[in-house]
Amino acid sequence: MLIPCPHCGIRPVEEFTFLGDAKPQRPQSNDPATMDQWFDYVYLRDNPRGLFDEYVHHSGGCRSWMVVTRNTETHEIKACVPARDYKKKQS
Amino acid sequence: MSDRVLPLKALAKSGRYGASTSAPSVRLQVLHPMGLVTVIARKGKSKSVQRALSNLQDVTVMDAGIDQWYVQGPDKKLATTLKQQLAETASVIDQSHGRVTLRISGPKCRAVLAKGTPVDLHANQFAIGQSAMTTMAHVGIHLTRTADDEFTLSVFRSFSESFWEWLTASAAEFGYHVS
Amino acid sequence: MSGFRLPNGGLIDRNQPISFTFDGKKYYGFKGDTLASALIANGIHLMGRSFKYHRPRGVITAGAAEPNALVELRSGGRKEANTRATMVELYEGLEANSQNRWPSLNLDVGATNSLGAAFFVAGFYYKTFMWPKSFWEKVYEPIIRKVAGLGTASKEADPDNYEKAYAHCDLLVIGSGPAGLMAALAGARGGARVIMADEQFALGGSLLFEREEIDGKGGLDWAQRVIAELAVMPNVTLMPRTTVFGWYDGNVFGAVERVNDHVAVPPVHEPRQRYWRIFAKKAVLAAGAEERPLVFGGNDVPGVMTASAMRHYANRFGVAAGENPVVFTNNAYAKRTVGKVLDVSDRKIVNVSGGKRVTGVELDDHSHVACDAVAMSGGWSPIVNLMCHRGAKPQWSEKITAFVPPNVGEAFVSVGAANGSMLLSEALREGAVAGTLKGKAPNIPSCHDETFVITPFWHVKESMGKAFVDYQNDSTAKDLPLAAREGYEDVELAKRYTTTGMATDQGKLGNVNAIALLAEATGKSMAEVGTTTFRPFYTPVSFGAFAGHSRGHHFQPVRKTPLHEWAEEQGAVFVETGLWMRSSWFPREGEDWLAAATREVLATRNSVGLCDVTTLGKIDIQGEDAGAFLDKLYCNTFSTLAVGKARYGLMLREDGIVMDDGTTSRLAENHFLMTTTTANAAKIMSHIEFCHQALWPDIDVTYASVTEQWAQLAIAGPKARATLNKIIDGAALDDMNTPYLAAREITILDGIEARLFRISFSGEHAYELAVPADNGNTVARALMHAGAEFGITPYGLEALSIMRIEKGHVAGAELNGTTTAGDLGLGKMMSTKKDYIGRMMATREGLHDANRQCVVGIRPVDVKDKLHSGSHLLKRGDAPSMTNDQGYITSVAWSPMLNMWLGLALLSNGRARYGQVVKVFDGLRNIHMFAEICDPMHFDTKNERLHV
Repeated sequence: MLIPCPHCGIRPVEEFTFLGDAKPQRPQSNDPATMDQWFDYVYLRDNPRGLFDEYVHHSGGCRSWMVVTRNTETHEIKACVPARDYKKKQS
Repeated sequence: MSDRVLPLKALAKSGRYGASTSAPSVRLQVLHPMGLVTVIARKGKSKSVQRALSNLQDVTVMDAGIDQWYVQGPDKKLATTLKQQLAETASVIDQSHGRVTLRISGPKCRAVLAKGTPVDLHANQFAIGQSAMTTMAHVGIHLTRTADDEFTLSVFRSFSESFWEWLTASAAEFGYHVS
Repeated sequence: MSGFRLPNGGLIDRNQPISFTFDGKKYYGFKGDTLASALIANGIHLMGRSFKYHRPRGVITAGAAEPNALVELRSGGRKEANTRATMVELYEGLEANSQNRWPSLNLDVGATNSLGAAFFVAGFYYKTFMWPKSFWEKVYEPIIRKVAGLGTASKEADPDNYEKAYAHCDLLVIGSGPAGLMAALAGARGGARVIMADEQFALGGSLLFEREEIDGKGGLDWAQRVIAELAVMPNVTLMPRTTVFGWYDGNVFGAVERVNDHVAVPPVHEPRQRYWRIFAKKAVLAAGAEERPLVFGGNDVPGVMTASAMRHYANRFGVAAGENPVVFTNNAYAKRTVGKVLDVSDRKIVNVSGGKRVTGVELDDHSHVACDAVAMSGGWSPIVNLMCHRGAKPQWSEKITAFVPPNVGEAFVSVGAANGSMLLSEALREGAVAGTLKGKAPNIPSCHDETFVITPFWHVKESMGKAFVDYQNDSTAKDLPLAAREGYEDVELAKRYTTTGMATDQGKLGNVNAIALLAEATGKSMAEVGTTTFRPFYTPVSFGAFAGHSRGHHFQPVRKTPLHEWAEEQGAVFVETGLWMRSSWFPREGEDWLAAATREVLATRNSVGLCDVTTLGKIDIQGEDAGAFLDKLYCNTFSTLAVGKARYGLMLREDGIVMDDGTTSRLAENHFLMTTTTANAAKIMSHIEFCHQALWPDIDVTYASVTEQWAQLAIAGPKARATLNKIIDGAALDDMNTPYLAAREITILDGIEARLFRISFSGEHAYELAVPADNGNTVARALMHAGAEFGITPYGLEALSIMRIEKGHVAGAELNGTTTAGDLGLGKMMSTKKDYIGRMMATREGLHDANRQCVVGIRPVDVKDKLHSGSHLLKRGDAPSMTNDQGYITSVAWSPMLNMWLGLALLSNGRARYGQVVKVFDGLRNIHMFAEICDPMHFDTKNERLHV
C-alpha cells in the first residue's frame, strides 16, 4: 500500500505505523459525570467496510501524525491530511 | 578540550573494496567531525525562521520535517551560534554527536541506495538540494542530494556500524572506495 | 550426441557443450539447454515420482507450470528442493537428483501405494488414521511424516548472499513475447522509464519456439531486433530471469531476479537472487497463456506432454520428445505440432499404454496406435494470476473456452494471449496501444494470423485407468465428482477436499479442468463454478530472497552505545536489550555473572561504581507551553518544577494503566529534558508526537530525541562526589551547589560541555553525567582514572538491577502493562488538579479495588532458599490453582547487603499483609516454599545513603 504523506510524497506502508480510528475525539471534561464519554473514547470502535479515517504515523519518515481516509475493502486511499488539520475539521 | 572520536573509525578504513573493476563506481566517505543542529520553529514562527536560515553563510540547511530543519556546518559551536541568531523563534538542539554523516557518490551511488530505500532517486525525480527522511535497511536516515551523482545521509550514531556494514555489502558488487 | 537431439536447429550453442549429473550419472548438454531439455536429449524421460501414487513421471511442459519434473538441485548448503527441471538453466557441473523415490527413480518401493489406490481417493485423510486413537501419535504420524513431501531441504547454512532492492518505472511490462515487446517499445520510444521482466533466461516469449512471421521475417529475428533496440536505451531496464510474482496495493509489484542461479558459485560480491519491489505507474500483463492438458487414462505416462511443450523442445532446444508422436487436441493450434493428429471431434484417446514410457495409445474405436509420445492440447488458459491477486475474479469466455482477466482499471492491463486475444496481430496491436503512454503508438508490423478454433472438450468419459487432473497432488477425474457427492460442491471446498491446485504448481495446468469436471458433476456452468482465489506468489520464492541482508548477525540492526569501546576494554559481557547491546556485568578472572554482579554492588555501595546508562531515552522539550505539555503527559506536575531541578515522573496510558516512568529536569524556563526507560524510548517519542499533533496541536512546544547526542554515565556510591570533583571544571560539588535532584549544565576536563544530574536509581549518593557522545569513551576512562584511588568499579545491568530491587524501586517488570499507579505504591503522584492522559479512566472502580495486586517486598522464610521471578503466591494452606492464585513474584535478586535472595511481587491486597507468610509455588521447576511479605524497600529504609 502506498500512502501519500503530505510532507514527503508517496511512500510505502512499511514506513508508517497505524494507531486506529481517528473519529473518536478525546473528551474535554474531567467531570465524573462524563465517564461514559471516556469509556467510549478509550474502548468503543467501529469496524466499517468502506471508508475509514485512521491515525497514521510516518515513523520511518518525517514523524508526522496524519489521518488517512482509506476504503477498507478496496484499499483505495482517498485522502491523507495532517492530524492537526483533521482535528480542526472535526471541531 | 577532548577531541571528538568517530564511531566508525575502526570500520571505515580508507581503501578499495568489493568487486575489482577498472574504476570503482562508488565512493564512500565519513564526514566527521561535522556540526549538525536540529532547528524547530516555534509556533507561528515558521516563516521568520525559514528567512533567518536562508540568510546563513557557510552552512547547508536541509528540510527535516514540518517546520524542522537540519543545519550542517563545520564543527565549531554551530549550535551556540544558531541559538543566538534564532533566540526565541526556534528550538535549537545540537545533534553533532548524535548523528553520523556519510557521503556516497559515483555513477552507481543510486543503484546502491535503491537497495535500501523506496524513495525514487532518479535525477529527474530527486533534485539537487532535496532531502528525504526515510528508512534504509531498517534504519531511519536523512538523505540529501548534494550534486549530480552525490548524496549525503545521516543516521543515529548507535546504528552507524550496522548501517555501514549494510551499505558496504550493497556497494560491493560495483566496487567501492572509502576515503 | 544422443538419439533425441535433432541434428540441427534450436537456440542452443552446439559449440559449448556442458556436462552435468543427474542421480549421480554424468551427461552432456549445450549452453542454452534447460535441465529438462538436456535430460530428454539424453533419452531420459523418467524424471520423478508422483506425490501420492509414486507413478513414474516425465515433463508435461517446457516452463514454469511444470508439475512433475521436480528435482533437488545442487548440494550441501546450496541444495534447493522441488526445483522444476524445465526452469533450470544448464551450467557446467550442475548437480541434480530426482526426489520422492526409494531406493531409486527406476525401482521405487513407494509405487506400491498404487496398490492401495482404492483407499487413497480424495479425502482419505479425513477418514483414515482415526482409529485406534492412540495410534496417531505413535504410529500413523511418524510414518506419514517420513513419506510426506517431495524433496528434502538442506540442513546446512546457505553460503550465498541475497539482496533486496526497489525500482521505479512509468511502465512495467511482464513478459517479453510479441505483445510485451511491442508494449516496451511503445513506452520506451515515448521516453517512458520502462522495465521489462521475463521469467525465462532468453527474451522473446512464444517467439522462441513458435514459427511465426512478423514484418516479413522470422518471428524470432523480429524479436531480436526489438530487444537490441531496447537494450541500448537508457530509459529501459531489461530483466530476464526475473519472475514478477505478485501484484500489490498501490500498483506495487514483487519480483525475484535469479541473478546467479545459472552459475555453480555466484561471484563473491554478487547475490544469488535479488528481491525487487517495483513501483509502476502502469503495468502491462503480457504473460501469455498456458496450454491445458486433456484428461484421459494414462495422461501422465512419461512422454505425454502438452503440444506446445513438444514444439518448444523441438524448436527452441533442438530435442525430439519422440520419434513417432500422436497429437490429441480439441483446437487448431496444436496441429502445428508434427505428429499423427487425433481431433476430439473425430477420435479420442481412452488410455495410454506404457509404464515408464509411452508405448502406444488405445482409441475409442478400440483400435491401438503405436507411438512413443503424445502431444495433448485441451485449449489455452490466459495466465491471469497477477491481475487477480487483489481480489478480482477472472471472467469466463465462451469464445476461447477459457477464463480471461478481469478489468482492474487503467493502471494494470492485459494484452495478447494473456488477455484472451489468440491472434498474433492482436497481440502486437494490443501491446503497442497499452505501452503508448505519450504521443502516437508505433507502427504495428504485419504478420500472419492463424485462426483459433476450439471444441469445448475436457475429459474422455470412457477412460478406465487413472486420468489425471492435478499431476503434482495426484488428483484424478474421479475425485471431483466424489467431492461433489460428499457435499464439497463449492469450488473452494472441492479444492481442499481433493487437494487439486494445492501443490507447488498451484494448479496452473489442472484448475480449469477441475472446474469443468465440477461443473459437469453439479450441473453448473463454468462461470457459476468459478475459480478459486488467486494469491501471490505466482511461483515459489526462496526465503533467502525475502531475508536479503537480514540474516544471522544482521537479522536486525545492532545499536551500540558511545561507551561500547570503554565497556569492551573493561571486559563487559553484553546483553541484547531490544536492538541495544548493554553491558550486563564485568567479570574478573574466574567470576560467573552472579559473582561479578555481587562484587560490583558491594564496590558501588561501599565506595564508587560507574555504569553506562546511555540507552535510556532522552527527549529535549522546549517552548512557551513546555511545562503545560508535560503536565498533560505525566500524572504528576512539572510546570511547577524549578529551573535546575529534576523530578521523577509517571506517565499513564489513556486507560489509566501505567505506561512509563522517568526523570525529567528543567534546564531553563522553557527548556526541559525528559528521560524514559530504554524499552519505551521510541514509544514515548511517538506518544509525544501524537499528543501534540493530534490532541493539542495549538500548544507551543517542540520535542527532539537526544538519546544519541549524549553519552550518559551513572556514578554512584559514597565516593561518587569525590571522584567527580577531580574532573569537574570550576567549583567542587557540594550540597549547596548540587543538592539532591539538582540538574546542572557544567563543563568538565577543561571545557567539555556536560550535564550533571544528582539522581539515584541505586539508592546511593549518586549522579548521572551526560557528555556529547564522541567524548564518551574519553570521559569514562578519565573517571576510571579519577576514581582509581577509591577502587572505582564498572557495573552493569545485573548489578543495577540488584541495587534497585534492594531499594524497592519499580522497573519494567512491575510496569508491565497491567499495573496502576496505586498498584505500584505511587498513587499519591496522581494529581487531582489538572487534566492528563489517563486521569479519568484511572478513577474506574475496578482500578481501585482493595483486592488488586500491588507491589510488595518478598523474602524467603529460610534464608538459604532461592526465589524465582514468575513464581506464584498463595495463602499458606491453599493448593496451587487459578482460583487460589494471589499474585506473583516480579523481580528477584541475590542481595549482597542482606545476604539472601529477595524480591518484589504483586500480591492481592499486598500492602495490608506485611509480616504475613505466603506459599510460593513455581510450577515450572516444581518448587514449593514459603516467603514473608514486607515493605518493598529492603535496604536503607530511611534513604539515608542518598545524602551521605
